[in-house]
Amino acid sequence: MAGKSSDMSGLAKREERLAWLLLLPTFIVIVLIAFYPLGSVFYSSFTNRTFASSAPTEGVGIANYRQLLSMTIQRLEPVMDPDTGQQKLNARTGEPVYETAVAALPREPYRYRSVTEFSLFGNRYVIGATDPDFIKSVRDTLVFTVATVVLELVLGLGIALVINGFASGGIGRAALMAVMLVPWAIPTAVSSRMWQFMFGSTRTGFFNTVLWHLGLGDGNIPFLTDPRFQMPAMITIDVWKTTPFMALLLLAGLQLIPGDLYEAASVDGASQWRKFWSITLPLLRPTVAVALVFRTLDALRVFDVFQIVLAQSRYSMASFTYYELINNRAMGYSSASSVIIFVLILIFAVLYIRLVGVKTE
Amino acid sequence: MKKQDNASPLRKIIFGLLVLVIVVWMLFPFYWAVNSSFKTEAQLQMTPATLIPRDPATNAMSFSPGNYQAVFRNNAFLRGFLNSAIVAISVTLLALVIGSSAAFAMGKLRFRGRTPSLYLVLAMTMFPQVAVLSGLYAMIVATGASAIPSMIVTYMLFTLPFTVWVLTSFFAGLPVEIMQAAQVDGANAFQTFTKVLLPLTTPALVTTGLLAFIAAWNEYLFALTFTSIEPQARTIPVVIALFTGEVSRQQPFGEIMAAGIVASIPLIILVLIFQQRIVSGLTAGAVKG
Repeated sequence: MAGKSSDMSGLAKREERLAWLLLLPTFIVIVLIAFYPLGSVFYSSFTNRTFASSAPTEGVGIANYRQLLSMTIQRLEPVMDPDTGQQKLNARTGEPVYETAVAALPREPYRYRSVTEFSLFGNRYVIGATDPDFIKSVRDTLVFTVATVVLELVLGLGIALVINGFASGGIGRAALMAVMLVPWAIPTAVSSRMWQFMFGSTRTGFFNTVLWHLGLGDGNIPFLTDPRFQMPAMITIDVWKTTPFMALLLLAGLQLIPGDLYEAASVDGASQWRKFWSITLPLLRPTVAVALVFRTLDALRVFDVFQIVLAQSRYSMASFTYYELINNRAMGYSSASSVIIFVLILIFAVLYIRLVGVKTE
Repeated sequence: MKKQDNASPLRKIIFGLLVLVIVVWMLFPFYWAVNSSFKTEAQLQMTPATLIPRDPATNAMSFSPGNYQAVFRNNAFLRGFLNSAIVAISVTLLALVIGSSAAFAMGKLRFRGRTPSLYLVLAMTMFPQVAVLSGLYAMIVATGASAIPSMIVTYMLFTLPFTVWVLTSFFAGLPVEIMQAAQVDGANAFQTFTKVLLPLTTPALVTTGLLAFIAAWNEYLFALTFTSIEPQARTIPVVIALFTGEVSRQQPFGEIMAAGIVASIPLIILVLIFQQRIVSGLTAGAVKG
């Protein structure tokens, strides 16, 4: 278009100027609320900056990152019984006794505290970290991400197939879609509170009542305070809230599959299972890939449900960052944690852009 | 209904059961909240919990509107509702005005740097808010900005890129002939945009506007952080998360459920009216490249 004549190139120049003028507000906003604060977060992550503190802000190098990420594995020495020369056994449980984690973990130059203990090939080990809360928050966020994304994919695919069984444009389909949008639309703060109440630790709570009626449990299961149940509870809440979204994405993908393929397969006498494995799944793969990455990015930054339901008894990476910033006013430390989350998400985002790409024309 | 007609009765029954399971699963927590919101404190303390509000003594059905009355007397809640409305409406309008101009430029105009701009916007749709939390908070503390304008501006972080992305593909899909016809009639590019193309974009504007409104209404992380020193600016999700009730008691769940339902009603109405648009917008943002 450009360069055909001087008149045309003048027109092209005007068009280009207008384009940049129209884009300018968007770019100003992006620089102001994304790039600039991201730069300041990156910068602060190398300082000990603290809000409402009289101490001067100083550069501390990578100290924040070292504190957040340092980990170690130590073998726990068995405790010997001087009388028998054998390893001592716990009098009550009969389990072999090892030295305490505190004794095995290094204290100098930085103090390590226990994250978890495990046994391997007859030895007992402890994993220590200088900030066990952060390491646990990373572990819990990753567990949460894998569990919710897999469950939501499987359940979402099931729901999408059911909805796809309804005729498009029919009332049944519209009604089911509306039902599914309810969990998606209500604020996470509200759904977190709803589920928090349902998970109540007495029979005033829904789940304890149901399990008690079924003869399971004593009606006083502390779902939200017992560490064994905390993660399953978080995962249950998120799966309820987000499966509809997954189902809608997958449904859109299902609708892209041409109906002729199924008809041709029917003519050839293919069973429903055969059609599902040979037509639906392979053709749905691009949608599934996009949905997976999209959900993974979202799950990695989970905040609302952890902060509202578990507060400071268990953190996600985002809620850890929040509490460091607001409760401890540790701007520098919180920033370092932000940077780590950012890098983790960046890796997945690059993957996503590779998958989706940009149609330039 | 072709798929259903030639199905065997057994198939129909299984299909019906699956639909039932999905509906119950999706709606039951909401039903439980409604149920609990109509219970008095004494009814809430009944063990085992009842599926409908019942009188503790006689076991007869007994609905109590007390929690709703308390919620509507609760100034923090009413204030939160108003704050949320102000924030969500401003965010929606701002995102649409800024976003549609950018989308027109990227969807219909030719200029150098178009592809990098598209990549930037796509990348921004995935930008994690928590990554800039401390940076934005520091900016707000340093400038002394109040929380509501801060929320309106910073919510652009997750509404604007999405709006631009979806609207760009919509503009790109409009036939070039419309633009050319307008230009033949003597309109310049900007007039073509505002007078000819923008009206054609109304459906897409409604869709992206709805999604921006819902996202802004539900946002929690920034709202919680920015209102930590300004409680009167709290939006509804923050009020509900920190709800203490009329008189400060331990977790007044009846009132919390009532407040949560009132806070969800605007969204449920939007979902019921604009179901088709919301679904198409959601999938356009994630599925279309």
